[in-house]
Amino acid sequence: MSKKNQAQLDRLADAARQGRISRRDFMHYSVAAGLTATTATGLWTTKAAAQPKSGGNFRWGLHDGNTSDTHDPGTYVTRQNIFLAHTHRSYLTMIMGDGSLGPDLADSWEANDDATEWTFDLNQEAAFHSGKPVTADDVIASLNHHRGDDTTSAAKALLTDVSDIAKDGDHTIVVTLSRGNADLPWLMTDYHFAICPANDDGTIDWQSGDGSGPYKIDSGEWGVQFTLSRHDGWHREGAYFDTVEILTLNDPNARQTALVTGDVHAVSLIELKTMGLLQRDPNLDIHNVPSAAAITMPMFCDQAPFDNVDVRNAMKLAMNRDEIIEKITFGAATKANDFHHSPAQPYYPEGIPQRDYDPDQARSLLQKAGAEGLTVNLSAADSVYAGAVDMAVLYAEQARAAGININVVREPNDGYYSDVWLTKPFCLVSWGARPTPDVMYTLAYKDDAAWNESHWQNERFNELLLQAKSELDESLRAEMYAEMATLARDDGGTIIPFFNNFVYANRANVGTPEELAASWENDGARAASRWWFTD
Amino acid sequence: MSDIFKLVMKRLGLGLVTLLVVSILIFFAVELLPGDIAQAVLGQGATEETVATLRERMGLNDPAIVRYLDWLGGAVRGDFGVSLISGGSVGDAITQRFLNTLFLATYAAVIAVPFAIVLGVLVALMRDTLFDRAANILTLTSISSPEFFLGYVLILYLSVKTGWFPAISSLSAGMSFGELLERTFLPALTLVLVVTAHMMRMTRAAIINLLASPYIEMARLKGMPPWKVIVKHALPNAWAPIINVVALNLAYLITGVVLVEVVFVYPGIGQLLVDAVAKRDFPIVQACCLIFAATFILLNLAADVGSILTNPRLRHPK
Amino acid sequence: MSVFVIGYYTILIAASCLAVYFERRRVFMLLFSLTLVSFVAGIIGGVGALRTITTLAAVLSLAAGVSYAFKEFLVQIARPGLARELRTAPLTAAFGMFVIFTYAIAGIFAPWIAPHGQAEVISTSFAPPDANMLLGADQLGRDIFSRIIYGARNTVGLALAATILAFVMGAFAGLLAAVKGGWFDQFMGRFADVIMSVPSLIFALLMLSIFGTNLFVIVVVVAVIYSPRVFRLTRAVAGNVVVMDYIEAAKLRGEGDWYLIRREILPNSTAPLVAEFGLEFCFVFLLIAGLSFLGLGIQPPTADWGSMVRENATLISFGDVTPLIPAAAIALLTVAVNFVVDWMLFRSSGLKG
Repeated sequence: MSKKNQAQLDRLADAARQGRISRRDFMHYSVAAGLTATTATGLWTTKAAAQPKSGGNFRWGLHDGNTSDTHDPGTYVTRQNIFLAHTHRSYLTMIMGDGSLGPDLADSWEANDDATEWTFDLNQEAAFHSGKPVTADDVIASLNHHRGDDTTSAAKALLTDVSDIAKDGDHTIVVTLSRGNADLPWLMTDYHFAICPANDDGTIDWQSGDGSGPYKIDSGEWGVQFTLSRHDGWHREGAYFDTVEILTLNDPNARQTALVTGDVHAVSLIELKTMGLLQRDPNLDIHNVPSAAAITMPMFCDQAPFDNVDVRNAMKLAMNRDEIIEKITFGAATKANDFHHSPAQPYYPEGIPQRDYDPDQARSLLQKAGAEGLTVNLSAADSVYAGAVDMAVLYAEQARAAGININVVREPNDGYYSDVWLTKPFCLVSWGARPTPDVMYTLAYKDDAAWNESHWQNERFNELLLQAKSELDESLRAEMYAEMATLARDDGGTIIPFFNNFVYANRANVGTPEELAASWENDGARAASRWWFTD
Repeated sequence: MSDIFKLVMKRLGLGLVTLLVVSILIFFAVELLPGDIAQAVLGQGATEETVATLRERMGLNDPAIVRYLDWLGGAVRGDFGVSLISGGSVGDAITQRFLNTLFLATYAAVIAVPFAIVLGVLVALMRDTLFDRAANILTLTSISSPEFFLGYVLILYLSVKTGWFPAISSLSAGMSFGELLERTFLPALTLVLVVTAHMMRMTRAAIINLLASPYIEMARLKGMPPWKVIVKHALPNAWAPIINVVALNLAYLITGVVLVEVVFVYPGIGQLLVDAVAKRDFPIVQACCLIFAATFILLNLAADVGSILTNPRLRHPK
Repeated sequence: MSVFVIGYYTILIAASCLAVYFERRRVFMLLFSLTLVSFVAGIIGGVGALRTITTLAAVLSLAAGVSYAFKEFLVQIARPGLARELRTAPLTAAFGMFVIFTYAIAGIFAPWIAPHGQAEVISTSFAPPDANMLLGADQLGRDIFSRIIYGARNTVGLALAATILAFVMGAFAGLLAAVKGGWFDQFMGRFADVIMSVPSLIFALLMLSIFGTNLFVIVVVVAVIYSPRVFRLTRAVAGNVVVMDYIEAAKLRGEGDWYLIRREILPNSTAPLVAEFGLEFCFVFLLIAGLSFLGLGIQPPTADWGSMVRENATLISFGDVTPLIPAAAIALLTVAVNFVVDWMLFRSSGLKG
């Protein structure tokens, strides 16, 4: 082999190790550089996909933490809550790097024929940090924390169909549903459903911060820092770091400089404006992972002028998504098509034509609706999404070409979700990634959902939603979701400009798996248990 | 001297009344803010039922006046209640953070106050020279950009490019005092730059204002060197406005530094207050604001006493 | 040795010699020390350092020239009495007036001066400067130069209104408190304590959330936040004046409070107030920028300098100058206002020469 080829291979291996190219690309290029496929595979395993090794103190900076956060899973809301929960607590199931559903506390699960009864078998080894084994009672109490009349959990809506949770021995639970739901195991990955130790009276002890996750909390202060150490005998593979420190770094510049100066090893978000500049730093690896998180712009379908479907579609046509993706997300987003189903979710319907910027057609639709020279207010706040107000301003400029006047109203960051969302007829909203389209549609598009943010009522859509929910045949289900997507796209009241990618970064001496989970930033919020130090 | 003592006592008494007024004001302002704690805690995940349950659990269904009196009853006995969200005692939540804030404020003040006053005297002495202009331009420029931006610039040059100081000031237990000073140097420096201009320019103005007075003229005609004229004759009579501006800036160092805390990730009381307001966690908001109010009252009192002590005419009112 | 370096030293030394010949001591000292500094800077920093010095010197002398010309211009068009005053103004004050004048023109005639609209998207994000866009484009592809011009109108107008309102309220209350004394003094003092006790951003958040965020409310809220500071300063300065013998004499003459304030106290306490004005003006800018941090400031897409700094602030860490442009606009105005303030201070103090 020539020297030149050797150098090229070294570079390739380097790129592969840092996750900049995939295994398939690596194989392709190395074979082109003159290697046999077998040698290339060998090289990949030895050099690129080096085995994770244990040790070190992992410092991890998060972009969203509040001093008034608590350990109560029912009110988890910030990244600090969620990422800490994935580090010190366990869930029944978890989303794996390749997007499939894997086991966490539950080793296996199965449903009856109409998906109204689910049985979960728990791992026998799992134990809380206090030493107490995790039993069916703990799981039941933890799920019941989000059910019943007196719950204050934000996840109550997700479990309304659950009619009973019973135990069948110490390590088996049976969940009975009033209506079939084929996605229940997926639902169990929701960040609220962390398993906490049960008290004798059937409530849970969330206050102590005890959990059965890969790391246990040694000390911590909300909004500042948590120090954790490895939970020996954790029931799953991984947890390579000896200790983990989770820091709250709310300021974008603080995160960026802490990472650049090596003060932290990974951060959960980098500012998109500076993404290109950070990529030049050879000490850093930037990850840009397509996700199911979305920005939506709901219009009240029962209120003029949005009660006319032509107006709604004109609004959708008046948006130049490409320009918005380029200028607001700097390319770190997947173009959306006005239905809330991301390519990062299962059952994604291919082949639905993409709606693009067409001010002329928008104008003629408005003419048809008798609403030329339409003027509407669009509410936004930068706390929704970095650049949300800019995005609204840009959209207003684009819509001008279709003869639509959009007044951008910057709302106070404080209290946006209680005063603006679901109250103002047209606003900007950010949705976290949900595991399946069913969860998303049920939460925010079902006719009687509390968060039906566009007040959209479509009989056929709701009928299909219920059918698909309990359909265990995957291909039939996919067909239903395709039809629902078309309905949402052509009749729905929500403009969806894009699904935002997760853009995060780590020091080059941190090893990451080939595929990163897309449920949260930093490998599905599980960087602490899935990543390792390479030096 | 007994006059001063009486004044201080009277003002401290009035200070308590002021605190009471502040607490009423804050309570009802937080009440008036759109949205309540239940909605804020649940955020995007709030539904009508869960909000109602949470309200019930937190006792928010009592009339506002009852809740205020409850809180006041505790506060008079020194019990500032518990955080509505975490259930932890307000005292525990605040004490360490307030000490941190006090530390940073002291650090900055120890550098900034003498520096600003000496510089002010110097530029008054050398007024209209190149030195005067340069000092003015530099200090004015440093307060012309938002303080967080100043922090970014300092981080860029003193941390990222040179590596002299750490970019973030996260504290950990068991740090030595020297380490602490090094870790918090950049935020302290930012604060020094923010407050210096104001104090320096007021010192300069107050002194120049007196330079044409007959008694200064007199001293000058006696052939006294200019620096002696200023330090011995002008400065003693210029203290009143200077002390006021110093007090104002010291208060700012304690109450107004939330952005600097955020930029340098310093666990002070400002961030706590902002978070508590966002979540409508009234006992914490109330406790923070009362601490701030007490700071202001004490500093303003100190400034007034200082003004009186430095002016014999005020000391002996006719 | 490039032609530039040879020319550089030749000009400096020749100018120094000329200064000596015409017995201009200060000019000579300045030029010759610059020569000596250049030797050191040249050895350490190379030609680059010398070029920097040249640029700085050129900018400074340009500023001085403009200031001088502007002063002469003002002297020519002013009434005779005013012209005499203006003639005594130092160059720095003339420079300050020139900058303020330029900003005023830019603000008033913004729509005619700015080549593009403040909301108009005309290129890609962060496009570099070209003939069409003097300062390049911002994150949305809007012309930064046009937004700076519009910012002069929006930000300066707002800041000016709020500062003046704060001064009128604060100074009036302070003077009245000093003259009246007694319970009125106490009441106003404690009232100021109450307002100041609440951190300004929190106070603004409370008020603006309750009353809405239109321009009028912003001006009033900002004025209310700053007026106690003015009040305390006025009260302190006027307190020193009130106990003077001439006030006592005026009181014995039976003069009313209003006369005392207008004719005796105000003239003797303007200096610190004027100095304060120059700075509060700048603080108001920053408070308005801080409000937009909470989502409460001026509504987009209206350009305002503070928000323009904030939007792209993190880019400074990569040496990108985008956030520096609006910051420089604020700094220049602050320095200019304070130069003029210095001159007024000097005149009101009664110092000659």
